[in-house]
Amino acid sequence: MDRQQEFVLRTIEERDIRFVRLWFTDVLGTLKSVAIAPAELEGAFAEGIGFDGSSIEGFVRVFEADMLAKPDPSTFQVLPWRGETNGTARMFCDITLPDGTPSMADPRHVLQRSLSKAADMGFTFYTHPEIEFYLLKQGWQRGASPEPIDTSGYFDHTPHGSSADFRRAAITMLETMGISVEFSHHEGGPGQNEIDLRYADALTTADNIMTFRTVVKEVALEQGIYATFMPKVFAEHPGSGMHTHMSLFEGDTNAFHEPGAPYQLSKVGRQFIAGLLRHGAETAAVTNQWVNSYKRLWGGGEAPAHLTWGHNNRSALVRVPMYKPDKGQSTRVEVRSIDTACNPYLTFAVLLAAGLKGIEEGYDLPPETEDDVWGLTDAERRAMGIKPLPASLSEAIEVMESSELVAETLGEHTFDFFLRNKRAEWADYRNQVTAFELERYLPSL
Amino acid sequence: MSSRAPESVPAGIARLGFTDPRRANDLLDDPALGGIAGSPDRIDAGGLSEGLSRAADPDGALLGLVRFMEAAADVPGLREAVVTALHDDSLARRRLLAVLGASSALGDHLVAHPEHWTAVTEAAPVAASERVARLVAAVADPGEQTPADALRVGYREQLLGIAALDTTAEDPLEVLPATAAALADLAAAALEAALRIARDEVGEEAARTRLAVVAMGKTGGRELNYISDVDVIFVAEPADGVPEEEAVAVATDLATRLMRLCSASTGAGSLWQVDPALRPEGKNGPLVRTVASHRAYYERWAKTWEFQALLKARPVAGDTEVGQAYCDAVQPMVWQASSRENFVADVQAMRRRVEEHIPKAEAERQIKLGAGGLRDVEFSVQLLQLVHGRADESLRTATTLEGLEVLSAGGYIGREDAATLGAAYRYLRALEHRIQLFRLRRTHLMPTAEGDLRRLGRSLGHRSSPADAVQEQWRARRREVRRLHERIFYRPLLSAVARLSDQDVRLTPEAARERLSALGFRDPAGALRHLEALTGGVSRRSAIQRQLLPVMLGWFADEADPDAGLLAFRKISDELGSTHWYLRLLRDEGSAAERLAHTLARSRYAAALLEQAPECVQFLGDRGTMTPRTREEVLRRMRSAAGRKDDAEAAVLAARTIRRSELFRIAVADLAGLVTLAELGQAMTDLTAALLEVTLEVCLREVAGDEPLTRVLVVGMGRLGGGEQGYGSDADVLFVHDPVPGADESAAQGQALEVVKRLIALLGRNGPDPVLDVDASLRPEGKNGPLVRSLASYREYYARWSLVWEAQALLRATPVAGDPDLAERFLALVAPIRWPEGGLTPPQVREIRTLKARMESERLPRGADRKTHFKLGHGGLSDVEWAVQLLQLCHAGEHPALRTPSTLGALAAAEDLGLVEAEHAASLAAAWRLASAMRNAGVLFRGKGVDAVPTNDRDADGVSRILGMESHTGEALGERYRRVARRARAAFEAEFFDG
Repeated sequence: MDRQQEFVLRTIEERDIRFVRLWFTDVLGTLKSVAIAPAELEGAFAEGIGFDGSSIEGFVRVFEADMLAKPDPSTFQVLPWRGETNGTARMFCDITLPDGTPSMADPRHVLQRSLSKAADMGFTFYTHPEIEFYLLKQGWQRGASPEPIDTSGYFDHTPHGSSADFRRAAITMLETMGISVEFSHHEGGPGQNEIDLRYADALTTADNIMTFRTVVKEVALEQGIYATFMPKVFAEHPGSGMHTHMSLFEGDTNAFHEPGAPYQLSKVGRQFIAGLLRHGAETAAVTNQWVNSYKRLWGGGEAPAHLTWGHNNRSALVRVPMYKPDKGQSTRVEVRSIDTACNPYLTFAVLLAAGLKGIEEGYDLPPETEDDVWGLTDAERRAMGIKPLPASLSEAIEVMESSELVAETLGEHTFDFFLRNKRAEWADYRNQVTAFELERYLPSL
Repeated sequence: MSSRAPESVPAGIARLGFTDPRRANDLLDDPALGGIAGSPDRIDAGGLSEGLSRAADPDGALLGLVRFMEAAADVPGLREAVVTALHDDSLARRRLLAVLGASSALGDHLVAHPEHWTAVTEAAPVAASERVARLVAAVADPGEQTPADALRVGYREQLLGIAALDTTAEDPLEVLPATAAALADLAAAALEAALRIARDEVGEEAARTRLAVVAMGKTGGRELNYISDVDVIFVAEPADGVPEEEAVAVATDLATRLMRLCSASTGAGSLWQVDPALRPEGKNGPLVRTVASHRAYYERWAKTWEFQALLKARPVAGDTEVGQAYCDAVQPMVWQASSRENFVADVQAMRRRVEEHIPKAEAERQIKLGAGGLRDVEFSVQLLQLVHGRADESLRTATTLEGLEVLSAGGYIGREDAATLGAAYRYLRALEHRIQLFRLRRTHLMPTAEGDLRRLGRSLGHRSSPADAVQEQWRARRREVRRLHERIFYRPLLSAVARLSDQDVRLTPEAARERLSALGFRDPAGALRHLEALTGGVSRRSAIQRQLLPVMLGWFADEADPDAGLLAFRKISDELGSTHWYLRLLRDEGSAAERLAHTLARSRYAAALLEQAPECVQFLGDRGTMTPRTREEVLRRMRSAAGRKDDAEAAVLAARTIRRSELFRIAVADLAGLVTLAELGQAMTDLTAALLEVTLEVCLREVAGDEPLTRVLVVGMGRLGGGEQGYGSDADVLFVHDPVPGADESAAQGQALEVVKRLIALLGRNGPDPVLDVDASLRPEGKNGPLVRSLASYREYYARWSLVWEAQALLRATPVAGDPDLAERFLALVAPIRWPEGGLTPPQVREIRTLKARMESERLPRGADRKTHFKLGHGGLSDVEWAVQLLQLCHAGEHPALRTPSTLGALAAAEDLGLVEAEHAASLAAAWRLASAMRNAGVLFRGKGVDAVPTNDRDADGVSRILGMESHTGEALGERYRRVARRARAAFEAEFFDG
């Protein structure tokens, strides 16, 4: 028993924790939770908690035996919304096989493998997400339009606005759970909010995103409203994305930073972007994994639908943010396609792999796009060599199918499961007769 | 003087061990010696020349002495003092000559600093604190030198004293631990002194941090060499009120300076490299961390080997409180390391690492690395400390020799084994010391030059032919150490169940179980029971097995299923134990026991064959041959064995008994990596063909006597026809017969049918070998058609009915047994069917494609995984074969190169002809090979057929090891298969459906 485990057990004793939730994530990014009594925890540290993986999305059993969930004591947190006395705590788990080797189906392990590949190359991967979501009134009914809780816009200050109350409550709770918040504001759409997390290594960030989504939903419930991370709720308002700033560090130095280079962007940084762009279409099914995701990407506005990069270009897939003098450490790239509703582990894993591939193979960075890509004609885009992201989940699946990079990063098992699941989703979607079709065709055909 | 005639060299001098007596004689006359040379005839007892003769290198010692005296002359009063001191055969003189004769580097130092001679003559053991005090004083007041030079000079001055005590010791092995400890103390003192210099360089800033230097490795274990990298870890805590980041930055500066101060080459030479690579994250990690940061790392990220390294951590310089806090924080983790998950796998990997990574050219001269090297001893002792030290605190020592002692006192190693190993270790270390001392160079290689060897031998007390003696001793010690694993890991296990010698403390059953599971045994209690059964009693067999088992346990432990190996060995031993040749084979024929152990623990298939036919153990002996026999050879043996029996059943049993041995021979060759997949396929096919041939002959004779009505032919189909059989393959066949001229056709048909039925029955019966399932369902009309047809009937059938799938099946038709003339005619008959001129018509192509698509959805067994099923899964064998066969049907009429029953042969031909894209061909071939190899490996490991990538981690591990992958990579194997199959599926879809 190491000290961290001891610390956890002691805390549980001292704070009278009655339940410990073991958290892990399925392949689609849904949080799974097993509650155990504190008495079982010591055993869980030593041997893990066995469970039948076949009922979890994507955990179809590679081996006959049960899988084990092993709590990671460094992720121990008391859940603030469960009250101070007789509380509940949670830990994230690694999923392993009975012989202790990590399960290839565990998204956390997929990311860990990508990170250790980066570590082999001497890099640590840091991310910093800006998470958008909508707050809606509760009580949505099938067939009805969802109703946002306010009608404010970008950065609006709403006096007595429940958005502001909500953000304050959510941030307080996040901070209680050790997740630092950088920034928060009202976003462009009515009821749309954004909360930015402080940058951290990618695994911690991914854990934090999982926690974040839970906290936001919990706080909304407490306040009698409903929070959603659905990529595109309103056709007429912007969708919810998760712009994510990324950087690679070599020891204590930012590998993207090179004083004097254009945008202070080093060769490593340029090659990383080149990798993100070249493999952008293949990775889209992971970063934007739902049918609905493509309605956000192709809905215009700030969503990127083309494989471009730029400095202050908000239509680009990859943006190199403004450089703050004296802040060499803050050189980074911002990927703008990611959905808030992605599986953060898999998303970070494939994007990191794409960037590293760019570095390994020394990809050349195509020229920067300064224009608003939406404003260009098809012919102009063709002339400039600008390629689009997949237009639908179906297209994204097709491109991903032949991607060695994604297969290698996710592992063959997860790769195969993911494709099958997404094909099924697309088939279900295709089977729908939508309101659009009825409205457009029924009167005239 | 050089003109002196040879005869004028006094006779006495040659006997004193000088290699160049004339030069020695001249030097003894050198005026610099100031008359201490004694009488000119050089034979006076107690004279200088006799003193010199005791040095490791008398010539070198004399030359060094002359140079030293010359240098002493420059220092006022020094030469006189020296002359006085050296006049008699005093301790002082003996020491000076010993040092000069053992180390030219220290001789050089004395020439440069003659005033240090008293460090030699007045050498005495020095406490660690005193060493620090002296060196710190030396650098604090460096005089005209730079502090770094003062450090070097002061260091060597103390080194003189250590060398003086070491080289004049009665027994160089006895004094070794003291020397090694003194060297470690001196290194620690140098680190402290270097840190003082670094602090002075940095100035006031230095006070902002509390830096401690923790020694690791041999410095930490107080068992250092004369010259070796000094392994350290730097730990720092901020001084009061200083932010942590700043403190760490200052500490990093200090540490960097400290390292440079020790390792940089200045006018006064250099000390040694300071190596901080054992720190968290190795070379990529920050040089200095706080105690908390270290702890966080070790708690979360550290690997098993890092804990092993920490076993020797000891604070030696800088802030003692911080250093101690570090050790207090990490020590408990060291002793919990053996309870970490993956400990067993890590340990196995570490053991492999110890044995690898030695440049080939040096392997034979290495004292430190490689099998039988010092590192091996150190590693093994540490490992046992980790395994047993969790429960037994008495084992927690950082020094190798002490470790051996406490392990033996606790009964974890036999007392005699510990003593032998300890002595070997001391000898090897002493060798290393003497080699390094000569030039103060870091080397771990045995010298090759005669002079070097001679000095080395003499320094270790070998007086007559020292060069040969030292090499012989070295080899003998290395042999002892090579048997280390046996002594240290396995023999004590036997002591838990059998009394090996009366004096030894026995390993407790708990400790034995602990160790067995650390070695990879899954059922330690069962393993102990087997050991007890194998070694109990007083029979000759148990006596020999007590000798053999410690070594064999190690070999079992190297494999995926040590438990099964030990169990199979017990069974075979019970069967054969009293057979005279068996024990002799294992005991005397070097590698037979090793091959047996590996085979048993690696393959249940081979173990099962051996349990049935223990006499096959002989194949594993040195005189056994592991090359599969040719078809003719097997056929000849089967024929003669069958010929000796009158009745058919006995005859076929005799042939099948030979098949059993040959299967074992092939399996052993395969496990040893002596045959390729293609060779294996051919060998298995030859074996099946020979058995079919002999069985057919026997059945024909039984049914038809000497005047048969018809001639019978067995045509191999599928893998048998393609020469690609594996362990689990059925024999797919067609039976053809042709009535002799004038015979009644229906009587002939009846006779042929009887023969064929008899053949299938005799081979399908349980017998000595695995059942050979003879399957004729590819015949015309399938299961509804007659089992055997005449050639004329085949002709008629194919002319009228022939279906595309039959043409496809015939692509691999190869006669394997029976009438050769009939074989020719059958092949001529089917040629235009399987290689149609002009290829297939579009409807035929469509038919094949549809058939395949339907088969995919229907034939896959319930519950099977479409991604990993070897035969019918995506990218599996059937995909590859169908793709190749479609190409053959379409193009073999035009291109004779495609007319081969071999899948890979036809694929390669198609690629040469440009009929398939090279990339697709590569993907298809890779998948076919991997699926075939995994299927074979599956049978070998489990003893029964395996249809898909194993879904059980132990099977996966076993299969992956047989395929030559590292241990515990079972899931990676599944991953690899899925990847290869995915690519093959894409190639198949492109070639087969779209091509």
